[in-house]
Amino acid sequence: MLTLQTWIVHVLFIFFTTESVGELLEPCGYIKPESPVVQLGSNFTAVCVLKEKCMDYFHVNASYIFWKTNHLTVPKEQYTTINKTASSVTFTDTSSLNTQLTCNIRTFGQIDQNVYGIRIISGLPPEKPKNLSCIVNEGKKMMCQWDPGRETYLETNFTLKSEWATEKFADCKTKRDTPTSCTVDYSPVYFVNTEVWVEAENALGKVTSDHINFDPVDKVKPNPPHNLSVSNSEELSSILKLTWINSSIQDFIRLKYNIQYRTRDSSVWNQIPPEDTASTRSSFTVQDLKPFTEYVFRIRCMKEDGKGFWSDWSEEASGITYEDRPSKAPSFWYKIEPSHTHGYRSVQLIWKTLPPFEANGKILDYEVTLTRWKSRLQNYTVNETKWTVNITNDRYIATLTARNLVGKSDAAVLTIPAYDFKATRPVRDLKAFPKDNMLWVEWTAPNESVNKYILEWCVLSDKSPCIPDWQQEDGLVHRTYLRGNLAESKCYLITVTPVFADGPGSPESIKAYLKQAPPSKGPTVRTKKVGKNEAVLEWDQLPVDVQNGFIRNYTIFYRTIIGNETAVNVDSSHTEYTLSSLTSDTLYMVRMAAYTDEGGKDGPEFTFTTPKFAQGEIEAIVVPVCLAFLLTTLLGVLFCFNKRDLIKKHIWPNVPDPSKSHIAQWSPHTPPRHNFNSKDQMYSDGNFTDVSVVEIEAANDKKPFPEDLKSLDLFKKEKISTEGHSSGIGGSSCMSSSRPSISSSDENESAQNTSGTVQYSTVVHSGYRHQVPSVQVFSRSESTQPLLDSEERPEDLQLVENTESSAGSFPRQQYFKQNCSQRDTSPDISHFERSKQVSSVNEEDFVRLKQQMSDISKPFEAGQMKMFQEISVADAFGPHTDGLVEGFETVGMEAAVDEGMPKSYLPQTVRRGGYMPQ
Amino acid sequence: MRAQLMWRTLPSLVLGLLFLSTPVMGSCLDKDQELLRQLQKQADIMQRTSMLLNPYIQSQGLDKDGLKEHCRERPGTFPSKEALQRLSRQELLRALNTMLDHVLHRLMALQQDIPKAQDLETVNRAKQNIRGFKNNIHCMAQLLPGSSERTEPPPIGPGTSPSPTPTPDTFQRRLEGCRFLHGYHRFMHSVGQVFREWAESPSRSRRHSPRRGLWKGARRVPLSRGNKRLLPRGQLPR
Repeated sequence: MLTLQTWIVHVLFIFFTTESVGELLEPCGYIKPESPVVQLGSNFTAVCVLKEKCMDYFHVNASYIFWKTNHLTVPKEQYTTINKTASSVTFTDTSSLNTQLTCNIRTFGQIDQNVYGIRIISGLPPEKPKNLSCIVNEGKKMMCQWDPGRETYLETNFTLKSEWATEKFADCKTKRDTPTSCTVDYSPVYFVNTEVWVEAENALGKVTSDHINFDPVDKVKPNPPHNLSVSNSEELSSILKLTWINSSIQDFIRLKYNIQYRTRDSSVWNQIPPEDTASTRSSFTVQDLKPFTEYVFRIRCMKEDGKGFWSDWSEEASGITYEDRPSKAPSFWYKIEPSHTHGYRSVQLIWKTLPPFEANGKILDYEVTLTRWKSRLQNYTVNETKWTVNITNDRYIATLTARNLVGKSDAAVLTIPAYDFKATRPVRDLKAFPKDNMLWVEWTAPNESVNKYILEWCVLSDKSPCIPDWQQEDGLVHRTYLRGNLAESKCYLITVTPVFADGPGSPESIKAYLKQAPPSKGPTVRTKKVGKNEAVLEWDQLPVDVQNGFIRNYTIFYRTIIGNETAVNVDSSHTEYTLSSLTSDTLYMVRMAAYTDEGGKDGPEFTFTTPKFAQGEIEAIVVPVCLAFLLTTLLGVLFCFNKRDLIKKHIWPNVPDPSKSHIAQWSPHTPPRHNFNSKDQMYSDGNFTDVSVVEIEAANDKKPFPEDLKSLDLFKKEKISTEGHSSGIGGSSCMSSSRPSISSSDENESAQNTSGTVQYSTVVHSGYRHQVPSVQVFSRSESTQPLLDSEERPEDLQLVENTESSAGSFPRQQYFKQNCSQRDTSPDISHFERSKQVSSVNEEDFVRLKQQMSDISKPFEAGQMKMFQEISVADAFGPHTDGLVEGFETVGMEAAVDEGMPKSYLPQTVRRGGYMPQ
Repeated sequence: MRAQLMWRTLPSLVLGLLFLSTPVMGSCLDKDQELLRQLQKQADIMQRTSMLLNPYIQSQGLDKDGLKEHCRERPGTFPSKEALQRLSRQELLRALNTMLDHVLHRLMALQQDIPKAQDLETVNRAKQNIRGFKNNIHCMAQLLPGSSERTEPPPIGPGTSPSPTPTPDTFQRRLEGCRFLHGYHRFMHSVGQVFREWAESPSRSRRHSPRRGLWKGARRVPLSRGNKRLLPRGQLPR
């Protein structure tokens, strides 16, 4: 009861609420038409009618109306005020499919108020459905489909209508997901013509398709025949019999069939001629099949007169034809193997299993016969496909037959030639090329009749041996393809051997690829020789396993670090190449690619640097320079050697040691021992410019032997006669210091004797033969040593001379004498060494010496020459030559002794044993 | 001559009006031979006991030895082949139309005793075939060049007004149904044969007037409700 009261209260509340809301929401007007559907491209007019009450309330009329479409105000040009309460708007060429149209008024001059709104739907009327067709799947209801035509943009209903002449069937309404087909809900009645059509209808119209009138049986798609089975016949190996069960449609109509078959391993169907299966049946015998071959069959059917549709294919059924005797002899060949038995050969007979289409059954075994010339036949039964037998070196004939359940094949005959048989007559123009993913071999037959050809092939590899496969071709064949399982990118060595009646011909071989590919690896390039502007590159041929094809050419790429890469193509037969025009002292990067017909592959990059100089260039520079230097040095040495005296005079002038100077006492009575006529002449010419200083060594207090002095004198005389003067170390101190000295016997020794000595000389001009010269002439010593008082006071010289006799007890005595100064020479010190030692003397001394020389030479310019003449006339040298030679030799000894002495020289006394004036 | 023409035209008009009393719908085939072939085919189909009788026997439990022998057409239910052969084409068509209406009626009655939907579907398919056959009769009637000179339905015996015999119990009703269906299939077999004769002698109707042709035999062997002679029973196709 309480529930009922509550329910009543709720109902009353809802009622009153709805009423009040209805009052509040009552529109101010309305639009006609309320729900328009407009055809695209047509004109459309809507009218808005205001209610009187609303007009009074808002103080408006129809002129206050303005229209909006999709919230956009419609231009006033499209408005028409019909009367006080109604205004219309017109749209031309409607294109929008869905438009919201509102009628609005402006109240109180500023407030826009929506009066009413509608939605305009646009679209197109349906087109007449076309291509109406129907199908009756056997056992199912009829289904019809059609082409609906253009898009209408509106909800369009399609209705399939069907009727007889006396009866109308229920309409077939399409479903939303299949608007272009419909399946009627009644079972079709065969042999009664039915009229069918389609009606398409939407808001803009209704249209009907053309009517089609047909017998449903002419639209039947039968169910496929079922229970298809295949059976063979032992009598005929070429037939198979098919049986099947037709569908129940055969109760109404006659059928025709399609029967298709194929071998099990084929995908291509063959079809029985349609005219053989053009009537209703439930079995069929297929003929002309291959023996012992499995065939697959399928079948379908349709109405015999061709009206209607083919059924689906039946399930497949297969059967195998019965066996027949092998249709062909097996391929037959042999291999000769070395045998250890003398006079015998091991022959391996090999043959191929027959393919199923030639075996025509299961091969049970093979029968091999072997016949030697004019001997008995030997039969062997073999189950395998090879048989090895030892035979003699004679000629044999082998035959082979294959046997199956039904019979034997024809015999394959093979002649095994005698051991000494020489094969000839090869095939000509052997070619191999890939085509259609097969490797074809083509040749020209020899001129003689060929029984058959044997093709052998194997993969060439560095890693595995050549294991040949083979096949046999008929003697009329000159082109075939290799029927083995060939691989791509492998090099095949193919050999073709013609087989004649008397044995095999000589084989011909060729290499080929089924399909080439770029090499797996590129060649590794290296330098064989690198020059300043060129480099010889070398590489190895690629192994056949990585070639993947015929190497057609190589390309060498080389570049510097910053330079562009340069490519050079090289023929594939080469294994080295010389890069020229390279820049010296440059790093080059080089790599190499090998190309087959299918592409190339780069090898590793190799770098090398060109040298700065070409080979031998350094030698060409250095050797001449060295030679030139050597030659120059040699010439210099020779020059110096030749001019050593001159050099010596300039650089190391002999400076007599004043301390070893000696005042000779000239005896006016002593007759000249030599003829100085010539010398007189020379002196008379005034050309006496030099004074030879002869150093005579006095060994161990002994005076020089007269013989020695004599020989020295002779030598001296020769010297003078040849050179016009004589010289000696320190000779310059007499007259002119630029004279080389002359050693008595060994120049080297004499030179050594003078080393390390600074010699002073004092020239004393004494009177001829105890005559007191009117004027005493002094030759100034070149020594930088200060002169002793005795030198400056001639009277002191005499004193020294006197004391000299007592000095003869000294082992080595140096003598000095004007114009024939003698010095101690040391035989073990060379003249050059001595020069060096002298040169090691302070250069200041040298300069100072030269100054002194120049100072001295000035007062001598006039009087001194006269003095020399007087000397020469006096020929004072003659008696002293012996002593001079001896003294000359000892100088060196003295110098050697003095080497450790300080280079400042002190005045020396004439030692005992020195030269004594005679 | 004019009277003769009128005499021939009037019955055609009546027959036409009879069939045209049904609302005009789909068009008929305008090729009489094709239409005749369809009728033959339909008769061939409808004579098969597998289409109706066998399922009915199975559904009604009559497929037992001893019972099948009782499932024989009751004489007089359907006209015999000879009776049909005696009718003119127009009369035959009219008689067929009448007989098939009766069959439809009877099938509707039999449906009440068929519980299984599958068997009902069989009956419905049979009814649909009968309607289709009637449609072709209608079309054939329109194509016939002449018309029956008689306005009354031809006196083809009990088949003209077959009515189910009142049966006291269900078994008897089922057995009567079985006998009726047996007769129906036999009747359709006869119809098929007659149509085949039509096809073999297409000019017969033109050569002989319907009255002199089809009705000729009828006159010699008039069929009447009272004439209950046994019609030859052909072996029904199975």
